[in-house]
Amino acid sequence: MTNRNDPPKNRFVGWLMGEENPLDDELELIVSTSQQEGRDVLSLEEAERQEEAEELRREKLAIDEKSQSVRIHSWAKHQGAHWLETLYRIAAVVLCGAIIFFLMTTVVALPPFGAENNPYNNEVSQRYIEQGIPETGAVNFVAGMILDYRAFDTFGESTVLFVASCGVIFLLKLNDHSSGKPSRAMLEAEYDDRHHEPKNDGILQFAAKLLTPVILLFGFYIVLNGHLSPGGGFSGGAVMGAGLILYLTAFGFEDTRRFFTYKMTRWISCLPLLCYAGMKSYSFFTGANHIPGGVPLGTPGAILSSGFILPLNICVGFIVMCTMYTFYALFRKGGM
Amino acid sequence: MNAFGMIVLVFLVICAIATSVSKNLLVSVVIFMAYSVLMSIVWMMLESPDLAITEAAVGAGVTSLLFFITLKKIHAIRGDEEEDHHDEQE
Amino acid sequence: MIEWIRFVLTALFLLGGLFILISGVVGQYRFRYVLNRMHAASMGDSLGLMLVMLGLCISQNDVFVILKYLLTAAFLLLTSPTSGHLIARLEIATNEHPEKEMELMQK
Repeated sequence: MTNRNDPPKNRFVGWLMGEENPLDDELELIVSTSQQEGRDVLSLEEAERQEEAEELRREKLAIDEKSQSVRIHSWAKHQGAHWLETLYRIAAVVLCGAIIFFLMTTVVALPPFGAENNPYNNEVSQRYIEQGIPETGAVNFVAGMILDYRAFDTFGESTVLFVASCGVIFLLKLNDHSSGKPSRAMLEAEYDDRHHEPKNDGILQFAAKLLTPVILLFGFYIVLNGHLSPGGGFSGGAVMGAGLILYLTAFGFEDTRRFFTYKMTRWISCLPLLCYAGMKSYSFFTGANHIPGGVPLGTPGAILSSGFILPLNICVGFIVMCTMYTFYALFRKGGM
Repeated sequence: MNAFGMIVLVFLVICAIATSVSKNLLVSVVIFMAYSVLMSIVWMMLESPDLAITEAAVGAGVTSLLFFITLKKIHAIRGDEEEDHHDEQE
Repeated sequence: MIEWIRFVLTALFLLGGLFILISGVVGQYRFRYVLNRMHAASMGDSLGLMLVMLGLCISQNDVFVILKYLLTAAFLLLTSPTSGHLIARLEIATNEHPEKEMELMQK
């Protein structure tokens, strides 16, 4: 048992070994957890009575605030408001007019669309057009650009998506009770979830049964053919996510959980990001500027070609699919 | 730019203004869906089918779904009758 | 000769489809109740779009393009009636006084 007066190193070692933190007794953490547990055990009537009392208190507070604000803001409400509103309207019109004027002036001053000597026709795009296919091996050289020349940028985008889904999970996910039973908020969400929505609707289920495989297949086709035809990880992943959302809407969480659980979502979101980082690290490690690094480029136009672009596309596709599905499920019910 | 492009661009501007002007949030989201579909046509005309696919799937599909669910969560979707009732109460 | 027949058929189908689509739009603005408006809209969606797709199929020579049109038509035929059905079901489920708008059959 570590003592409170131990030097910090020993405390850290104790924490590593899984011993109890002696400081826990003094923090308010424990008090709040005990309250939490107590509230969940309360009977329904008790909770209703508490809610009513809370509501009464809130109404009283609102009335108090209202009378105070009337006293304080009486000038602003009667004389000042009219004046301010007029000023606000005039300012809005002037601001809009100014912005429109400047933007239109800029549009007039722009060079004609697609002209030969526009500033964007420089050596960068020339290099992409001339050397793009031999260097990246991708026929669709939009994919070659975003997943080879600018792959670091796309890595940042995938990370942004990952962090966004993490934030949504932090904010919206409802947790199980510590004893394993669903908490009251979860039960309420479950009840509220499909209150007005079609439950076991035969027509929707038939359509979803026919359409979901086709949509998923189409999304995966877009992902796999990203280096050959328009599309790629992001669009294909969005299509696949939409297919999953259709299945979820038709059959509910119970059926979807058979093949797509929360745990699986976590794995599918994290692993492709790590794979992406690993592959791109290897690519940078071997020189980044297309010094041969042992990855064959293949013949441009074949399905197994263009080095790392195909696996990178698959990674991005899976990340985007999981993000879309996570957003939908958490927005709707706060769980999966 | 040809006549079809002109028509699509004019509708795009109309949709963009209507999205911000309309009072009802649900109507706003539906008009935003129409805006996304028109925008994907514009991407197609500017010869970037990558963006067109993404805009159609994300802008018209998933984003509006998320908007709908959020509106439902914050109880912003109301029928006319309930709105009248609400007005009477105030 | 065969080109002319094809052109006339394409034009007929496209015009018919456009007429039904426009009448659907007009109906959506003229009617007042949800179910009436939905009837107009989903009729325009299914019948009008099918006629337009048929006209486009006739106008094309390439077999793969025609197959793609047919696939699009099948997709639309699956999805748009389903969404119409869902809207109708939601209206019936949430409307508290349906007897104000229509005659209800007694069970």
